[in-house]
Amino acid sequence: MAEVIRALRSAEEKIRARWSLLGPLIFSSFILAALLADLISPYDPWKRFNPYQMPGWEHLLGTNDMGHDILSELIFGSRVSLAVGFSAAILSATLGTAVGLFAGYFRGMADEVLMGITDIFLMIPQIPLIIVLAAFLRPSFWLMALLMGLLWWTALARIVRSRTLQVREMGFVAGAKAIGFSDNHVIFSDVLPNTLYVIAPKFMLTVASAMIAEASISFLGLSDPSMKSWGTMISYAFSRGGFINGMWWWYLPPGLCITVFVLSLVMMAGILEERDIEPVKVD
Amino acid sequence: MLWGKTARYAIAFFLIISLNFAIPRAMPGDTLTNLMGEDVHLSEDAMLELKAKVGVDQPIHIQFLNYWRDLFHLDLGYSYHLHAPVSSLIRERIKWTMLLVAPSIIMGAFVGTLLGALAGWRRKEAKSRLQTTGFLLIYCTPPYFLSMLALYFLGFELGWFPLKGFYQSGTIGDIAHHLFLPVLIMTLFSASRNYMIMRGSVIQERQMLYASYARAKGLSSDQILFRHIFKNAALPIITLVALDFGFIFSGALFIEIVFSMHGMGNLIYDSLLCRDYPVLQGTFAVITIMVILANLLADWTYGLVDPRVRWQR
Repeated sequence: MAEVIRALRSAEEKIRARWSLLGPLIFSSFILAALLADLISPYDPWKRFNPYQMPGWEHLLGTNDMGHDILSELIFGSRVSLAVGFSAAILSATLGTAVGLFAGYFRGMADEVLMGITDIFLMIPQIPLIIVLAAFLRPSFWLMALLMGLLWWTALARIVRSRTLQVREMGFVAGAKAIGFSDNHVIFSDVLPNTLYVIAPKFMLTVASAMIAEASISFLGLSDPSMKSWGTMISYAFSRGGFINGMWWWYLPPGLCITVFVLSLVMMAGILEERDIEPVKVD
Repeated sequence: MLWGKTARYAIAFFLIISLNFAIPRAMPGDTLTNLMGEDVHLSEDAMLELKAKVGVDQPIHIQFLNYWRDLFHLDLGYSYHLHAPVSSLIRERIKWTMLLVAPSIIMGAFVGTLLGALAGWRRKEAKSRLQTTGFLLIYCTPPYFLSMLALYFLGFELGWFPLKGFYQSGTIGDIAHHLFLPVLIMTLFSASRNYMIMRGSVIQERQMLYASYARAKGLSSDQILFRHIFKNAALPIITLVALDFGFIFSGALFIEIVFSMHGMGNLIYDSLLCRDYPVLQGTFAVITIMVILANLLADWTYGLVDPRVRWQR
């Protein structure tokens, strides 16, 4: 009996381990598709065929109103969507980490001021602000990424700060200070490495929300018409009649791509996050 | 403590609204156009007259003071495109948006925290895993795309729900029929966010000593969850719902566009098409004010509910 239970347990663990591979697997296949777009895409996304074709052997996902091949649009569009997501997240992670580290490490006045600024940024309705700014400026994906990066560092700053407050009280930090290392040295070589594990999952969630926001803002027609992203694809399908006429092959694939890719990011973030709360068990 | 926070909100309000003042003046292009909107064509004389009326020929600090004075008189400018004061345009639309947002946020908070708590407590069970997967999928989908799917399948293919608008005949039943699908999507959207937070928070709380103590005392599993853990895990939700308000509200704007509802979202969508800047700025100001009020309200409620905060005052 005990044997059976043990066998069942290890089977369950194996299944769990497989599930946890799903996130990285989806993630890397999307990245690969974006990198190899020139090789794997069946057509040039701007080449025109007969419009409104249903999915078929010629065009696996059909064509849109301009006669562009949707599968090719999807593959090339992943480049823009991913680039916006990642550049926004890299910028906001850098800002958030810097603010959190300095506020948590120096405390006192620096902490008060930096956290005050963070609280103010938290109150900004971010998407409406990006909409207003994008309406005034020439639409561009880089601008969108820049604005998101500048607005979305607050959550990470708070997390990094509270982790820094813990780390700075630990022995090795006191040791490094006692030896006479400069504050900068201590922050970057002792404190920062110990905050990385709270940064990593939050970074992925930021990529995820930046991609959802990109799709939303592009949906309003505020993106660069000379480039294609998943968001612009849905936007055109909606504004040029694909949605009303039930052409599911036009708007469904880009939407599903966003959902699936975001899901892979959230799953990976979840695995990273759960690692540090897993060990203790009550029941 | 509470007054300190209120002061911070006041500063945030001042700075964000000032930013709103600065945007049209700092952006490239003609300031007058930036203040009036793109497709306003006037004669030379009318232009000069307007310039004096809008006040761009005055020094910047006077403009700034006038801007605040107008704001406190609920004057958010004039839409030259729609030929109406922005504040009355927004007032007309916002009640419809609130009809969509308010029930969704409240139901989303209840459904999300309750199911999230149960899922965190019994997370090994197949049922709660399935539920978590469902909410995770909703969490990962742009709300407007979810609306498009629901509208297509439930409205278009099955014909269960009307395809657009807030009402047709205007009776309460009719409005409810129109509102059902968008409110359902909004509720799921806001519930999914609370669900994830609550689930994680219960998973963490269950490892605390007081949970073990309650078990040792002989309480049943449900009693531990609802008497002890739920309270501790749910408190932060009040703050988080408020912080999330801006995001949820933005989500509603997009859902409105998909369902062609005559609320703030479509007002923004329409004014984007013709670059009607006064309306865009007015809506941004109003949304900012609502976000700050929501947070203020959350802090006060928190103070009422949590004795630790109450005593700190």
